[in-house]
Amino acid sequence: MSGISRRGFHAAAATGLLTGCSSKPPAGPAPYTGRAAVSVLKAAAYSEDLTRLILTGLKQAGLPDVEGKRVLLKPNLVEFDNASAINTHPRVVISAFEAFRSLGALVTIGEGPGHRRDTFGLTEEAGYWQQLRTLDDHFVDLNRDDVKSIGPFLGRPNFFFPETLLAADLIVSLPKMKTHHWAGATLSMKNFFGLVPGSVYGWPKNLLHYHGIANSIVALNRRFRNTFAIVDAITGMEGNGPIQGQAKAMGALIFGRDLLAVDATCCRMMGLDPAKIEYLQSAADLGATAAGQIDQRGENPSALRTDFKLIQEFQYLRLS
Amino acid sequence: MMPGTYRAVRLDALTATQNADGGWGYFAGKRSWLEPTVYGLLALHGQMNQNHWKRGWDLVRSWQLPDGSWRPNEQVAEPHWSTALAVTLHCARQQYDAQFQRGVEWLLDARGEESTNLSRFLGIFVTNNIGHDRKFAGWPWLPGTTSWIEPTSHALVALKRAAPQISSSELRRRVTLAEGMILRRRCVDGGWNYGSRAALGVDLPSYPETTALALLGLQSCGEADLSQDLVRAQQLWMQCNARLGRAWLAISLRNFGVVLPEDDREPAKNDILATALEALSSPNGGHALLRPEARV
Repeated sequence: MSGISRRGFHAAAATGLLTGCSSKPPAGPAPYTGRAAVSVLKAAAYSEDLTRLILTGLKQAGLPDVEGKRVLLKPNLVEFDNASAINTHPRVVISAFEAFRSLGALVTIGEGPGHRRDTFGLTEEAGYWQQLRTLDDHFVDLNRDDVKSIGPFLGRPNFFFPETLLAADLIVSLPKMKTHHWAGATLSMKNFFGLVPGSVYGWPKNLLHYHGIANSIVALNRRFRNTFAIVDAITGMEGNGPIQGQAKAMGALIFGRDLLAVDATCCRMMGLDPAKIEYLQSAADLGATAAGQIDQRGENPSALRTDFKLIQEFQYLRLS
Repeated sequence: MMPGTYRAVRLDALTATQNADGGWGYFAGKRSWLEPTVYGLLALHGQMNQNHWKRGWDLVRSWQLPDGSWRPNEQVAEPHWSTALAVTLHCARQQYDAQFQRGVEWLLDARGEESTNLSRFLGIFVTNNIGHDRKFAGWPWLPGTTSWIEPTSHALVALKRAAPQISSSELRRRVTLAEGMILRRRCVDGGWNYGSRAALGVDLPSYPETTALALLGLQSCGEADLSQDLVRAQQLWMQCNARLGRAWLAISLRNFGVVLPEDDREPAKNDILATALEALSSPNGGHALLRPEARV
């Protein structure tokens, strides 16, 4: 399959070459020259005291004061398959919920899955309710939240986002560390696809595919800058991710305010070259991606590198 | 739960959560949207002559755009997939006036971007890498994008209900093509997901909600043997605990004459769409309003 058809997967069903060509990002602005802190902490199993670990990671990675702030935790919920590792593990989400609450934040968990209509059904299948009995009071289905226009975005004169998202002081991306069969890797930046409301744009959020997956990732991350990331890499997914790959033990949680730096660090841990991930390069003005720009705290990510299996089309992403 | 109580408590919940503008939000206390409002009104179809129903109806009518489509809510003034639901509601109310006609015409004009003449022309030269046959046009979530199972199914339900009122060969042609589209996107396991059988050569699984909706769209499709699909839908219904999927499956299976036991779970805490669908899905709950030959 060609690179064009890969980038334009859903749209290719409709317009073939047109979409593939339109997804090629334009030359971007000058690369970011600042520095960023990323914390990597070992976590061998979901049964560990993750709340304590997360509090350590938040501190190491320089979380700003969140007391009294509205914090939106955005996990990655895609589908449920109990034999696989598709979704952010509920223990990570609920531990993050407890950690931010202990810091005085007003915490909401919100997600807008891209394939499944029944977000609450998905949270139930994925085990979120078993972990937090009062989830009802703290969870927002971003697909069916009330919406508000932010004006022009992704080529549309008015683009609508969930009001819960727009009201948040801090958006915490809580992705699963996974390979992705169209984008190479899905981490904290790609996780923002779930911010787009399905009730307006549908399931799947086909508009994002028409705009180009990399372009849409970059546009969303350019728009939403009040962010933090906690990556669930205790068990990730390799191979034909983000749904049909195999579980891959990594045994870590990764933290940071700069989502590019977090994703670039994750790529190196997965044995992927961040310089070859299209959306990271297209967003290079937004944050630090070069290893020399990232202040690594906690564990040395190089020491934890565990190469994730890649599908044939993405072998070129392998970090040398 | 006593027989009939399941539906009654949901209808009570709906009347208690109706917004001042006559509509319903997706969740109690939230702003009105077209989708939960239409399903709320369908669930409350026995109260069409009452003021609260008329207020909801008036709101739906007020949301039609000049091009004949419907907007999804007060904030988003754009053509939307839920236009099909508004047309179905007009059929349920037997209101076949100019607004109804314009809605049908908009549906007949809308199609997935893959089936436009330009895309089909380009398709001659480009490998269709996910196996969709472009000539079987369905409906997209929003104009200018690809067709998918759910919006196509909603449009089929609407057009089949509208058909006796519309003398149009185009309507019959679109129905036939869309049925073909749904049948060709059936997953290997016998149901449907959002609309892709496979990715990178690997089969994808079906989902409860989209299997239910695809079957609703395929009602009265003479050419298809749906017996195995109905078996798959029953399996999904037995396995599915999620409210939306389970309710849509019950609506669909009951419309195909499958006898199911009545559910006895409590209503959702504040999920209006689930509440309305569960009310519709009960044995006498109005699921037949989504049948092509339905009569109020």
